[in-house]
Amino acid sequence: METVTENVWNRLAQDTAGRLEAAAQAAGGGKIVAAKDTVRLLEAVLRPGDKVNLEGNNQKQADFLAEKLCRVDPAKVHSLHMVQSAITLESHIKLFEKGIAEKIDFSYAGAQAGALAAAVREGKVKLGDIHTYLELFGRYFIDLIPRVSLIAAYQADREGNLYTGSNTEDTPVIVEACKFKQGIVVAQANEIVDRLPRVDIPGDWVDFVVKAPRPFYLEPLFTRDPALITDSQILRGMMAIKGIYAEYGVQTVNHGIGFDTAAIELLLPTYGQELGLKGKICTSFALNPHPTLIPAIESGWVKNIHSFGGELGMERYVQARPDVFFVGPDGTPRSNRTFCQIAGHYAVDMFIGGTLQIDEDGNSSTATAGRIAGYGGAPNMGCDPKGRRHATPAWLKCGQEYGMREVLTGPVPRGKRLVVQLQETFREKMAPGFVERLDAWDLMERAGLAIPPVMIYGDDLTHIVTEEGIAYLDRCRSIEERRAAIRAVAGFTQVGRKAKAEETRLLRERGVVKTPQDLGIDPARATRDLLAARSIRDLVRWSGGLYQPPGKFKNW
Amino acid sequence: MRRSELMRSSFLECPARARAAGLVDEGTFTELAGPLDRLTSPHLPALGEAVAFDDGIAAGVGLIGNRPVFVLSQEGRFIGGAVGEVHGAKMVGAFRLALAAYEKALRRHPEDLEEYRPAVVISFETGGVRLHEANAGLLAHAEVMDQIQDCRGRVPVIAVIGSKVGCFGGMGFVAAAADAVVMSSQGRLGLTGPEVIEQEMGKEEFDASDKSLISRTTGGRHKYILGDCNVLCEDRVGDFYQSLRDLLSLPYEELCRCRRIGTYSLVQEQMALTALAAELNPSDARDVWRYCGNADPEGLTELETGEFLRTARRRAREVS
Repeated sequence: METVTENVWNRLAQDTAGRLEAAAQAAGGGKIVAAKDTVRLLEAVLRPGDKVNLEGNNQKQADFLAEKLCRVDPAKVHSLHMVQSAITLESHIKLFEKGIAEKIDFSYAGAQAGALAAAVREGKVKLGDIHTYLELFGRYFIDLIPRVSLIAAYQADREGNLYTGSNTEDTPVIVEACKFKQGIVVAQANEIVDRLPRVDIPGDWVDFVVKAPRPFYLEPLFTRDPALITDSQILRGMMAIKGIYAEYGVQTVNHGIGFDTAAIELLLPTYGQELGLKGKICTSFALNPHPTLIPAIESGWVKNIHSFGGELGMERYVQARPDVFFVGPDGTPRSNRTFCQIAGHYAVDMFIGGTLQIDEDGNSSTATAGRIAGYGGAPNMGCDPKGRRHATPAWLKCGQEYGMREVLTGPVPRGKRLVVQLQETFREKMAPGFVERLDAWDLMERAGLAIPPVMIYGDDLTHIVTEEGIAYLDRCRSIEERRAAIRAVAGFTQVGRKAKAEETRLLRERGVVKTPQDLGIDPARATRDLLAARSIRDLVRWSGGLYQPPGKFKNW
Repeated sequence: MRRSELMRSSFLECPARARAAGLVDEGTFTELAGPLDRLTSPHLPALGEAVAFDDGIAAGVGLIGNRPVFVLSQEGRFIGGAVGEVHGAKMVGAFRLALAAYEKALRRHPEDLEEYRPAVVISFETGGVRLHEANAGLLAHAEVMDQIQDCRGRVPVIAVIGSKVGCFGGMGFVAAAADAVVMSSQGRLGLTGPEVIEQEMGKEEFDASDKSLISRTTGGRHKYILGDCNVLCEDRVGDFYQSLRDLLSLPYEELCRCRRIGTYSLVQEQMALTALAAELNPSDARDVWRYCGNADPEGLTELETGEFLRTARRRAREVS
């Protein structure tokens, strides 16, 4: 008779129990751990080679825990495999310089993009993959399951329940992936209170809470000062509103982060009103609480906004507009990056944003050779979601005029999402917005990536708006025609100088390319006088004092 | 742009040439040594830098009433309004013309000199010396200071500050030496710029990314409370124009009482202020506002300009 060795099915839980016991010895028995014991706690719960999630994205940061993680003894804790949304703090790079961490899988690198590229070159960081947010979140449940997660909350109670409020962001997805695989969750909280406004993360999913000596760092990444919007951005904004939003009747939108879309937001109550578009376009958004959207909201343009995260200074305003934003039964806002990314991917008809470089085929990238900036959520917003099945007028119209549909899928009707790039032909310091070869290729070679980091692929891109005109790429019937349309709006860049007058004339006749004149827009009208708000102070006035901008943006 | 539109438009956003025309009576501005004359910097091409046909300043003359007003208006969009050789020479030239005009007015209108007395108005938008041509720029600062002294007792000199770059570096001294200073809340006046303070003294001393801090420390409201700014007005070209009209309608002797320097008693007052700073050891401009009798300094920044002017208590001046 064969002997059956008894299988053990709870090795993870056993391992966790051992770690928790070590933690109890190192930092006392309770859930609440004193800030001074944080390093000892981390040394007790971490093992070499662990996959560790350090919460932080382009908004909130578990910065106190990140700094403490840098202080653990590399002899005890090393070779960590970091799995995290963003690399944005100096401490994120320091982990690798000190030999505590070895490898990283991530989505976005903001301020540390240059330092990360340098660390990869010097062999200090083993680069895993660069993801979009949703991809990375997906892998948290498949092959990048965090063993230990270090997260951030506004408030905690003594049972470890957490209030993450308007900056809930990535916390739910991290905790769920980690805790339900018996991982260990350590939270930093700005304060420990007796009673939370509401419970965003249940206490039995949280092992330890440290009261951080200062509030978690929050980057106001989505605040654009209207004072810095240029006439050229206003012209492109007018063209987009008339030539795209109005043309397709786009009601559901995700806006990119730049000044071009800030200009559009500030043109809605003025130029949009003049065109009689209120209620016809821009009624629902998957969008962070952009301060520049305040005038449009106050003028009754916007029905609802779901947000990836919270924006510093917008808390009170968002809270006071529960018909528009998502606000809990306790009366305070919440955000959720996963849900908003899904909404932005599947539920909106248009992505519109800016980029650094567009090539002759319409591929675009924000990569430069010396910086590994990653993707964030942009590729999931800036693409045609292949799994989409629900039909809206804007999606159907774009699909109907899609010139290459027959070639690709035959006569079956299908819609198409609008993916729009707003691009100045020459950016700051005369950097061309259209190039023959993306810098992404150089970055691929230097950083040893498998593919060039393209943010939005040409086959997803439907429109390009430059000060020269709009290229309706969706209407092109071949790749050659697409290239001609791109050339036609690329101005005096190397790409644009290849445009042939006769070719462009034919494209204009067919409505594949439209200049401001073709659209009936007088470029002389594109001045800052057309903006609903011209300064941060104006935005505060529009909000009736509810918007409270951080000092960085407050020039009074 | 129509005159009425110009008067309503934001001074902060107004380019130098339009500002110059807006600061004098409608249709009276004549630019001198303008872009068509193409007086460009001889130094910038050697460094491979682009030149501007006006070298970053619009200079000219217009009228306010019967009074010739020589206007110097710096353009921040060209090298931050920094003062180079040609830029400085245009400033000095305007002063010389104003002094010559004064002599003429004295001969022609001895009876009603007050009405015809020329004035110099400088609309500052600069960080001071243009580092590409620093020696020439420094010399220009000294020459302008010299001209201001020559103007004393003859030609009023008024500083106007409300443009994006503000008024910093050596030109901060020049503004302080003017007979009167007009600012908006958005205007900023100082010597060492915020970035340089942070670079030299550290972020703890001065965080140059904190715009609110910069505004509290160098902005029009602080300067108004302290007395470094005589007239605080709304950020509209028309409001600056009206402020100039009001100041110039004062008898010259009275206008000169706005001065901060130039007499022994004014020097004493400045010394007393220095002693107060040491004694008070303020960590923020708000401490000074509180000392001057403002119970709610935090609230002061949030007020609109008109309300601020009704509410704010200013430092009591000892010399009047």
